[in-house]
This record gives sequence, structure tokens and C-alpha cells, in this order.
Amino acid sequence: MSPILECHGLTKKFGSTTALSNINLQIERGQIIGLLGPNGSGKTTLLKLANELLTPTEGSIHIDGKKPGIETKKIVSYLPEKTYLNDWMRVQQIIDFFADFYDNFNPGKAYDMLKRLNIDPQDRLKTLSKGTKEKVQLILVMSREAELYLLDEPIGGVDPAARDYILETILSNYNENATMIISTHLIADIEKILDYVVFINHGQIVLTSTVDDIRDQKGKSVDALFREVFKC
Amino acid sequence: MPWELKTDRPIYTQLIEQIELKILSGLYPLGSRLPSVRDMAQEAAVNPNTMQKALAKLEEDGLIITHRTSGRSITEDAEMVKRLKNKLAQSQIRDFLERMQLLGFEQEELLATIEGMIKEMRK
Amino acid sequence: MLRKLIKYEFKATGRVFLPFFLSLLIFAVINKLISPADPEYWGFPAAISMVIYIMIMVGMFVMTTIIMLQRFYRNLLSDEGYLMFTLPTKTWKLIASKLVMSIFWIIASLAVAFLSILIIIYQKGVFMESWRLLTEGYRTIYEMIGASLYTITLEIIIGSLFTLVFGIVLVYASMAIGHLFNRHKILASFGAFIALNTLAQILFSLFCQITPGFAWPGHELYLQNMPNLITLIQVFFLYGILFTGLLSAAYFALTNYILSKKLNLE
Repeated sequence: MSPILECHGLTKKFGSTTALSNINLQIERGQIIGLLGPNGSGKTTLLKLANELLTPTEGSIHIDGKKPGIETKKIVSYLPEKTYLNDWMRVQQIIDFFADFYDNFNPGKAYDMLKRLNIDPQDRLKTLSKGTKEKVQLILVMSREAELYLLDEPIGGVDPAARDYILETILSNYNENATMIISTHLIADIEKILDYVVFINHGQIVLTSTVDDIRDQKGKSVDALFREVFKC
Repeated sequence: MPWELKTDRPIYTQLIEQIELKILSGLYPLGSRLPSVRDMAQEAAVNPNTMQKALAKLEEDGLIITHRTSGRSITEDAEMVKRLKNKLAQSQIRDFLERMQLLGFEQEELLATIEGMIKEMRK
Repeated sequence: MLRKLIKYEFKATGRVFLPFFLSLLIFAVINKLISPADPEYWGFPAAISMVIYIMIMVGMFVMTTIIMLQRFYRNLLSDEGYLMFTLPTKTWKLIASKLVMSIFWIIASLAVAFLSILIIIYQKGVFMESWRLLTEGYRTIYEMIGASLYTITLEIIIGSLFTLVFGIVLVYASMAIGHLFNRHKILASFGAFIALNTLAQILFSLFCQITPGFAWPGHELYLQNMPNLITLIQVFFLYGILFTGLLSAAYFALTNYILSKKLNLE
């Protein structure tokens, strides 16, 4: 099968600023990949390009062999860093919304997860705390039976207990047909669940490796290596 | 027994060790069925592919057997397990002896100390 | 997809409009009930009630404009955009669904306003009288210009609709252009609005120069000849509609281009 994500010479410039420079990447299916880099390294830009929220300046990006568009959006489930929930719906309504627009959305799964986290579907989105909104967003994203999950800082602003739950959810949703790309700078927590890491800095790929190779060859955790590589 | 995984050693090797320990300690009895790769990975909070690799290696070594239709189980070969136990014990003891040597212990002194401690533990 | 998007637009905006419509109608009824027909005899409560009614009326139209702007900005150009633009649908449908609902609400507001006025001015014979005047006027005009009455009425309706569409698309395009700027987005949108409007006017006068009927030599003669005047008016309207339609499509295409290829959400 073709790689789920492929970038060839992918470059993105905003005016005179280069956010991504000549990215060449091939992500095979069925893996959990960490896209690791400091803030401003280009991680979010790469994810946005995969979602057609940005268009390449040069080079190309393909998902399942296709350019980002309607067909790819059907199989990609994206969790942005931002909260994209509106303020007038109830939780139940946003679930209906997703079910309406995405054929592969599984409302049953969503309601299960909401129950686990004690979130009432009748609550209005605008009354939820920031942390709860983020959990709702994660639930919406993970309730889709997608082929590629792009999670931008999923454990960023969340308390440690919720963090564990999120990692658990990510793992339990994993299946051999799905691929997950998790972009974060909080590496220690997620290292164990990653197959593969991509270090990115200043818009360029610095290193790609499996987690175990790093531990084997460098004798340290990915987190420790990261701190070394990206020392200020 | 919870899974204890350190951060500076490959996860895959640690998983192999931890599973071996679980077999030896009887947590995974001889001939018993193992949970699915996914369930084990979730329990250990690791990537399923990594768990798969570890299980594959253990299978190669003969400690785990894959049945075509009914998943994985621990070997029933008690001899093999005993050999593993001895091998691990010897490796631990070797490390221990080397460390004690560094501390300056003589062998008789060491044996005497060990005997004494064992007697204490039996009380 | 488009139908679903329109459905959600309706849900998002209806919650604001329907209460307004209801209160307008309620106050119209209140006014009707507590005010005697002759304003001279109005007491204090009647006056207050009328003031409130007018305020609601004005508020309703202001609200329509604000909602139109706000929906576009909030749903497409701010954080909600992350949700909308990752839906498996084409960008033009996202724009079109909002356009359709904006048109709907403006027409609905006018209808409700008209209805409320009817409620207020209702008197026993007022409908009979108005109907009589209407049919008389219709007959008179028909005698003057014949079947053209229908074409001209149709043209006026379509023309108004197209002008409405144009106005909305003009606003959307201005906001899309404003989005291209990193800073001073609101200022840029304003500037774009003025620029696009001016451009439209320039193009329109150019358009007038080249359309037949305005450049025919000796057209003053036509003014004295009634049937030809009517034809002139019809042609004028037709060209106006055509021009407005084309320009609306162009500005829509511009908005679509910016939002699909030049999108850059914060």
C-alpha cells in the first residue's frame, strides 16, 4: 500500500519567512509517529498543509496518494491546537454535526468517552472549562474511524490525570489501518507509545528514527536526546 | 506486577525482560493464554508494534507459542522455563559478584554474609 | 453538503432572528391594542409602546447586518474555521450557505416588518380600500404599457434580488481581502470594501458606455415615443441585472479563491 503521508520538497513561505523548507517525508501506515520540535519549528504548519488549511509554496504533500482535498478530508481526523467549538451548541449537537458531515464518525464511541469523563451531553459548549472543551474536541476527533489522525499538542494544556486518559485513548484507538501523527514538545509522556519520531527545527527535518534505535544507540531516552539536540 | 519501563533503554528489550519475569514468577503460568497484542500494549502503555516485536522475539526463543486460530500462549516446556530461570539468575549473580568485587569483598567473606542474611530472612 | 451547511447556518442564526421577529410582531399587536387610531389621542403608554416598536424594528435591521458580518468572520475566519475548512466539502459551498441564509434573513426581516406594519395600520375597511387602489392602479398602468408591466415587475424583483446578492458578496469579498493582511485586518476590510465598491461603479459606467441603447444616436427622439421608452427601460434593467450578476459572480469567485488558496488561520 502507498504511504499514508508523503512530502516531496515541501516548502511553505509566509512572505519572507520560511516556515518549512524542503521537507521530504514518507510515513507508512499503521504507525504512531511523534512530530517533535520546539515552538515555531514548523510542526503546526506541516499539519495544516496536510489539511489544506494552507497551500504549499513549493513541493508537494500527498495523503493516501492524493493531494489534500475533499477525499483526503474524509479520511483525515485533525485535532488542532485551537479550540474550534462554537459557543451556541450543546455537546450533543456538535456530535450530531460530526455525524452529519462525516460518514465514518461513530457517535456511540463519542458518548462512551463523554460518559467516562463525566461530561454531560446536554451541557452548552460555552459553559465548559477550557480543559473540558479540549477533551470534547479530542473525543470528536478520536470517534472518527479515520485513516490518518493528526493531533497537534493533544496533551498540552491538560492535567496529568487527563493526560494519561488521553494517551490511553490514543492507544486504544490504534489499529493497523490507522496512522497517528502526534505533534508535541512534551515528549517524556508519550515516548513509550511512539513507533517513530521525527525531529523538526527551523522548518527542517533534523532526525528521523525509531524510539528504540535512539535508546539503543544513544543510550538515552528520546526526551533526553531532544533536550540535547534542541538546547537553547 | 505493573510494567516498569525505564527511559534510557530500548522499550523492546525491556518488554522482553518483563515478560520473561512474569513467566518466571508464575504471573503467566505455563501453557496459559496470553492477552492480545493490543491489550498487552495498552496495559503496558506502549506502542502495539513494539509489543509485537517483543512477542515475536520471545516466540523465536520458544517461550511463547502462536496457535493459528487461538492466539498466543506460554510454552508448556517446564524445562525451558527452568533453564531461563537459571540463566537469568546466573546473569544477576554474575553482576552482583562483579559489583561486590569492586567493593572489595573477598569470596569467603561474601558467602558468610549471604548465609547470615538468609538465616535472618527465614526467621 | 450544501443543504447540510445551510441547515446549520439556519440553526446558528435562527436563534437570534426568531426572537426579534416575535418581539416585533408582539409589539405591533400591543401597539394596535393600546393605541386608538388617531395619534392625537395617544396617551403615555401608547407612545412608549410605539417607541419600543420602532426601536425593535431598527434593531432588527441593524442585527441583520451585524449577524451577516459576524457569521462570516467568526465561522470562517477565526478559530471555528479550523472546523469548517476541514469538513469534506468545497470552499464555495461554505460561502454559498452563508450567502443563502443572509438573503433569506433579509427578505424575512422585510416580510416581518411589513407584516407588523399591516398589523398596526389595520382598520376595518383599510384592506378593502387598499385592494381597490391597487387594482385600479394596476389597470391604469396596464392600459399604458400593456404586457410590459409583467416583464418590468419581474425585472424589478430579480434586479432587487441580484442587487441584494451583490451587496452581500461585496461584503464577503472585502472581509476575505482583509483576512490576507496580518495586521489591521478590519481597516483592510474597510479599505477593500471601498475599493471594490468604487471598482464596481467604474465598471458599471464603462458598461453603460458600451451597451446599446445609451449610445444610439439621437436617442432623445425615443423619449417622446412611449412604447420605445418602455423597451429602453426593459433593456436597461436587463443589462443592469446582467451586469450585477456577472460582477456578483466575479466577487464570489474572488472570495472563493482567497479562502481556498490563501487561507491562513491564526
